[in-house]
Amino acid sequence: MPCVAIGAVRVQMEKTQPPRGLFVPFQLGRPLGEPEDVAFQRRVLSQALGLLERTDGPVILADFPDDPPGWSDTPGWEPPVLPTLATPTDPTGWRDAFATELAALRPAWAQARARFGRSTVGLSFVSPEDWPALAAAFAGGELPAVAGHTTAALTLRFLCDDIKAFYGEAGQAVGSAPSSRQVDGWFWRATLAGRLLVALRTMAMASDNNAMKTVGGRFFVPVPWLPG
Amino acid sequence: MARLEDIPQPTRDAVANLPCPSFDTHPFVAGPPLAQRRVAIVTSAALIRRGDQPFAFGSGEARFIPADIPAAEQLISHVSINFDRSGFQRDRNVVFPIDRLRELAADGVIGSVADTHYTVMGSTDPAAMIESVGQIAGQLQQERVDAVLLTPV
Repeated sequence: MPCVAIGAVRVQMEKTQPPRGLFVPFQLGRPLGEPEDVAFQRRVLSQALGLLERTDGPVILADFPDDPPGWSDTPGWEPPVLPTLATPTDPTGWRDAFATELAALRPAWAQARARFGRSTVGLSFVSPEDWPALAAAFAGGELPAVAGHTTAALTLRFLCDDIKAFYGEAGQAVGSAPSSRQVDGWFWRATLAGRLLVALRTMAMASDNNAMKTVGGRFFVPVPWLPG
Repeated sequence: MARLEDIPQPTRDAVANLPCPSFDTHPFVAGPPLAQRRVAIVTSAALIRRGDQPFAFGSGEARFIPADIPAAEQLISHVSINFDRSGFQRDRNVVFPIDRLRELAADGVIGSVADTHYTVMGSTDPAAMIESVGQIAGQLQQERVDAVLLTPV
């Protein structure tokens, strides 16, 4: 079967030696380079698929020449306004503060859903209005069950994924597209939800539940955004 | 710039030093002109249909994606937290370029778009996917696909 692989890590393609590979200097998570840039995506696709017509194998590795236009930060990007909230010290405090921040961001999230025609929130099987109570239960050391997930650890992992998706979408609701660094920086450094995920990571890693330790340590907070 | 040196640590070292399989042979297949090819996507983004179980960590399973799945029904369930999702949040085509393929087919650049596409969980030992690879290959042959585009995240 004729195959062509797009790859963002050239050294991996050099090791695996696919029959046809297009190395792209794009960030991980964006193999086509630039969201909503039809012309750029078509250029990437055309170069990748064009390798299928070459017969000078058995290994063809080519380089896409351009960086994606959205790599640089977007001057003037302004994230949604957040309420000023002190870092809570107990589960009830986390529940109330998180609910306040979520409520403040609901209009932006609705704008994002309208703008992009969809939302990527949904892995947790829990609606956003129920997130504060669920997160507070975890913060208090409980292991609540959610229908559809086999363990509390998975429930919390996918809750964290959904929270990040909600904020990522709300943060991109209006204006020009921010860079991913701007979205991440806003979430992890400016929002209460970012602090909540760090607190949940701390809780999970101190848990007696081994699954909770594993998911908390690996799947909640990217290392570059850990405090300290 | 967005190259290996721009990936934050420790992800940079992890991807640079990831053990990769090596192969004794290098199968290389030619085919008809691109304008006659039927193209399918295989992505390691662990895409799921809304409401379905997310992929399990380390799972070697493959899931089939109907070409007409609405964008609003697709979620990304990859386990890694070390790649960007903001692009996918804006536009699924940055990972799953189904609309771009349709345009290329309409323009005659490729022959057609397959009825079925495929997704697996990246960050998984390829040896766990052997059975899934057979399932994918069987469906590709059944649909007379003769070009596969691999999109990792």
